[in-house]
Amino acid sequence: MSDGPLIVQSDKTLLLEVDHPQSKECRAAIAPFAELERSPEHVHTYRVTPLALWNARAAGHDAEQVVDALVRFSRYPVPHALLVDVADTMDRFGRLTLANNPVHGLVLTTTDRAVLTEVARSKKVAPMLGARIDDDTIQVHASERGRLKQALLKVGWPAEDLAGYVDGQAHPIELDQADWHLRDYQQEAVDGFWAGGSGVVVLPCGAGKTLVGAAAMAEAKATTLILVTNTVAGRQWKRELIARTTLTEDEIGEYSGERKEIRPVTIATYQVITTRRKGEYRHLDLFDAQDWGLIVYDEVHLLPAPIFRLTADLQSRRRLGLTATLVREDGREDDVFSLIGPKRYDAPWRDIEAQGYIAPAECIEVRVALDDEERMTYAVAEPEERYKIAATAQSKMPVIRRILERHPEEQKLVIGAYLDQLEELGTALDSPVIQGSTTNKERERLFAAFRTGEIKTLVVSKVANFSIDLPEAAVAVQVSGTFGSRQEEAQRLGRVLRPKADGRTAHFYTVVSRDTLDSEYAAHRQRFLAEQGYAYTIVDAADLAGRGEVNGPDWVEPTAD
Amino acid sequence: MATTEGTTAPATLAAWLRTRTDEQLGALLALRPDVARPAPSDVVGLATRLAVPVSVDRALDELDAATLQVLDVVLLAPGDGLTRAELVAALPGAPVEDGLELLTARALLWGDDVVHAPEPVRRAVRHPAGLGRPRTPPPADVEDDLATADEEERAVLETLAGDNPVGRLPVDNRGTSPAGPARRLLQRGLLTRVDAATVELPRQYGLALRGDRPYGPSRVRPEPPTVYRDPEITDRRGAGAALESVGRVGELLTALEEDPAGLLRSGGMAIRDQKRLAKALKVDEAAVAFHIEVAHAAGLLDLGGPHRDEWLPSRGYDTWREQALPERWALLAASWLDSLRLIALVGQRDPAGKAVNVLSPDVVRHTVPAVRRSVLTTLGELRPGLGLSTDDLLALLRWQSPRRSDRFVLVPALVAEAERLGIVVEGRLSSGGRGLLTGGEEGAADGMRGLLPEPVDHVLAQPDLSLVAPGPLVAELARTLATVADVESSGGATVFRVSEGSVRRALDSGWSAAELHDFFARASRTPVPQALDYLVDDVARQHGRLRVGAIESYVRSDDHGLLSQVLSDRRTAGAELRRLAPGVLVSGLPADEVLAVLRSSGYAPAGESAGGAVLTRPAGRPRATARPGSRPATGPRPLGAEEVEATVREIRAGDAALAARRTDPARQVPGVTTASTLELLSRAVREQLPVWLGYVDAQGSGSRRTVQPLTLGGGFLSGFDEGRGEQRTFAVHRITSVELVDGPTG
Repeated sequence: MSDGPLIVQSDKTLLLEVDHPQSKECRAAIAPFAELERSPEHVHTYRVTPLALWNARAAGHDAEQVVDALVRFSRYPVPHALLVDVADTMDRFGRLTLANNPVHGLVLTTTDRAVLTEVARSKKVAPMLGARIDDDTIQVHASERGRLKQALLKVGWPAEDLAGYVDGQAHPIELDQADWHLRDYQQEAVDGFWAGGSGVVVLPCGAGKTLVGAAAMAEAKATTLILVTNTVAGRQWKRELIARTTLTEDEIGEYSGERKEIRPVTIATYQVITTRRKGEYRHLDLFDAQDWGLIVYDEVHLLPAPIFRLTADLQSRRRLGLTATLVREDGREDDVFSLIGPKRYDAPWRDIEAQGYIAPAECIEVRVALDDEERMTYAVAEPEERYKIAATAQSKMPVIRRILERHPEEQKLVIGAYLDQLEELGTALDSPVIQGSTTNKERERLFAAFRTGEIKTLVVSKVANFSIDLPEAAVAVQVSGTFGSRQEEAQRLGRVLRPKADGRTAHFYTVVSRDTLDSEYAAHRQRFLAEQGYAYTIVDAADLAGRGEVNGPDWVEPTAD
Repeated sequence: MATTEGTTAPATLAAWLRTRTDEQLGALLALRPDVARPAPSDVVGLATRLAVPVSVDRALDELDAATLQVLDVVLLAPGDGLTRAELVAALPGAPVEDGLELLTARALLWGDDVVHAPEPVRRAVRHPAGLGRPRTPPPADVEDDLATADEEERAVLETLAGDNPVGRLPVDNRGTSPAGPARRLLQRGLLTRVDAATVELPRQYGLALRGDRPYGPSRVRPEPPTVYRDPEITDRRGAGAALESVGRVGELLTALEEDPAGLLRSGGMAIRDQKRLAKALKVDEAAVAFHIEVAHAAGLLDLGGPHRDEWLPSRGYDTWREQALPERWALLAASWLDSLRLIALVGQRDPAGKAVNVLSPDVVRHTVPAVRRSVLTTLGELRPGLGLSTDDLLALLRWQSPRRSDRFVLVPALVAEAERLGIVVEGRLSSGGRGLLTGGEEGAADGMRGLLPEPVDHVLAQPDLSLVAPGPLVAELARTLATVADVESSGGATVFRVSEGSVRRALDSGWSAAELHDFFARASRTPVPQALDYLVDDVARQHGRLRVGAIESYVRSDDHGLLSQVLSDRRTAGAELRRLAPGVLVSGLPADEVLAVLRSSGYAPAGESAGGAVLTRPAGRPRATARPGSRPATGPRPLGAEEVEATVREIRAGDAALAARRTDPARQVPGVTTASTLELLSRAVREQLPVWLGYVDAQGSGSRRTVQPLTLGGGFLSGFDEGRGEQRTFAVHRITSVELVDGPTG
């Protein structure tokens, strides 16, 4: 019996004991074909899914390597059936190939005639296939490339896409690394992406995904379309690109609700692309406006379904997806795989934190007891009202204030989901509020003031969940959220993870009403962070120690200004 | 004892049997155990038994193709009997002597220098060497007849001259046979008709077509290619499968413990339950069917419940789960090997188009254990590390018992089952499998020992509220964890998750919050995360705020004063009332009894339905519940060595007695000792001659036995009873007849 760090479970999850001397080596061996599912303190969980195995095949690994890694590191005998299943699954990849034929254009070819016949008969696949050229080859219209790959994946015969990419219109882009350097993991991510052609890079919030995008652009040296979640995020991209690359302001266009500029590098929001008038997408010509050499999808886990459909038409262009988590609440991970591409790189949050590239964070759940009146209101409320009542309870207010008082010198965000609660907080804390209806100009102004330290506390709605770069924010207090969304939790934590100039620890507070739906949802949300290795500390509001007290934050002398 | 009668060869099977040694007779009985039960009284009886068609078929079924070919030669010989030399000449290069030995040992052929085939054996082999029956009258010129065949007809003839001389006439869709080569051959007498649709190639033509190989191609044992693989790898993979199957069966039974499956009227378990279990175990339905069947075969799962209509873990399960992993696995493996149930049939459609349910009584096939065993035996004959592909295995098995080749269609399914259990890995027998084959359940456990992980006694608690048990758990910890946490993933390790629901379940089953804290702290090797402690406290705080109790009936009234009066009334004490809340009294007695007590005490209560309406008459009449089905029978019992010995002795004794019966026995009425009896007995003692005794024992039942007398005196004869194989004493007055075994002349 060997004493390996890995335990292979019958449901194809892999348990990796972190403290084992071989764990690093083992992680490297299994990472290509297993998705990291959870990475709490002691035992990390990976899952071997067909998608992950095909990912591995696409990246050039074969079944023998996979089986060898499992057998070599496994502590206990691995069920033979599981190994056979792994080999069978991997064997399904590459039986079908999409390739360019000099005569017929895009064709689907096979090394296994039976498979081609099977998929050609499938109701889902058949409509996308063209004329049969010979026994092993079927013509495919170039516009069906994405949809066909999607459909083939669904029927379990993923096609290897060897049809290649168009170079797009060349445009000189270089990284300007005068006063900074691409971090190792960022470089690895870019290399992984470029070698694979298209795909997704998974990095934690605050780990510099924008730079991975910039580096990919410098690699492509071609016109680039960047799709982002909202205008503010878009402007951040623009700022970052100007600062970190040779691109100038004139070369970067903004394509949003406010402006419709098309430049060699164009940043468009999801919203503007999915805007419809009279049932038609009005901005589709954006995709044809330039001969794009690269398309970057920011926050790919949020990519709306219509963009998926549009992306299906863009299969001949290189695509880069960026995200903090491949978890999609709508479960469309396989569409990401077939349309954007397989996962090309990921790294556990804690590893990057250990390298000092994201700030260490302390997560604290503060429990507030509702007063009797609130409890009664809660008890008799309609089920759909209950969460709101619990989340916006008045009893939270003094606690929030107390938390903010613990960190007088730091830049603080108070994050909530209910507008009236935010307004109330704004008034009570005497701080500006940013929410959906705040104009972009006003947002920019407030964020700028926050960055300079002019404003110490900002109250924000879920508009701030994503892609807002507030490097100095060191404390986030979340008072209410979108039910149990794990993703939201991760994004919000991401707000405070940018490394601080002095290496300070960030603080992430969740204020929760005890014994209500609020605490139930909080538990669900926290599970994601716990799985990423962030342990929550739970304190009762009454026990919340002040600054300098036992268990409280350190006393920092107020800076003289 | 029995002696060869000089130089003359025995003329009958019985006579030949009499010339066989005790060892040879014993071997015969061991090889054909069906003739030994009940024990034949003498050699003639034995010969009669050996002629029973079922027994002959059974014996022939066990022979390999090479041996059957030797038999074919004898059966095809023109006269009765063939010398050994002739046999060897007929099959050049074949191991004739070995085959002959196998056949004579089973009395399927008899004779020492000239071998004969008994008539029943001739009848049992319908087409010796795959040749048809001879045509009568025989064809005048075989070669001339064959020369008339055109190319098409020749092809038909060649086909029928192969392994099977019988063919079907082609029939078109109108049901008539079109004129074809077969029909033309039939008209010319080159084929004979068996019935309306089948024809047969007469032996004379078949032999002519085969030319210099009249008995067909040589039937040497196939030597399929084998690939060596390190047995250690095989063992590790086998152990993986073993671990998996033991784990699955455990999970399955845990799931059934919580929510038993119902018994179908037709027997078996409903598809619905099977699907539910498949979902709970996260495996497909075929896999769950297999594990259910194995658990049932191992006696871990059976019918239970108050009406015996629920599938439940048995008492055996409680013992099983306390055992070490190798023992647990061995029970499953051994039970599978002996199970009469063909699990592969589950889920298949029966002829009526209905899918066969798991645990259904319809999947019992009495041949299955034998096929399983022959699969394992065949693989076990290979050196460790060598294996066979399923196709090669099939070819070998078909050679080993060609007459049973139809039952080998099961082999691929059975090999797959063996692989699931880790008995076979990629066509190779694992050490556990080898142990199972040679040493049964114990051997299996020994073979697997050391390959399966040792149980662990701790878990690792993590901040995401999961508990990881990094190996199989010791039984006690596993039981406790099943209560306080839910299993999320199982296999080599088990991942448990503590949730609000699981903590509540633990509190419901009597744990206190303090005990839970203590348990987690003790069981976890890592510090208990704060979130876990909080979860326990949170749930505990809410637990028990609502109280639920059982009552049979209540008494309610808006008049609180009246209720107080009822409660304090001495006459109503029999109603066992107590106050639950103002306006409500409750009782543990049924409503009609409470009504009766209140009425007899002078009150005027009215019954009330669940909806609050006043009831006027009681409802419901009792009905009986259905009776469950019966259990399937078990397999045949093998013949033990002692049993064989005893039977041979009895046959010998009976045979000797038979020979002796030719002389007049000395007879006496019981209780009256005649002079001739005593004279015969004393002569037997003196000359040490065995005698045949008629004897009535103390219970009054008569018997005949052969005795080697030792002493005679005091009204008792003491001697060695050969039939029973023991020394004993006989009261002379109970002896009914005496005769010398070998007769007065012998």
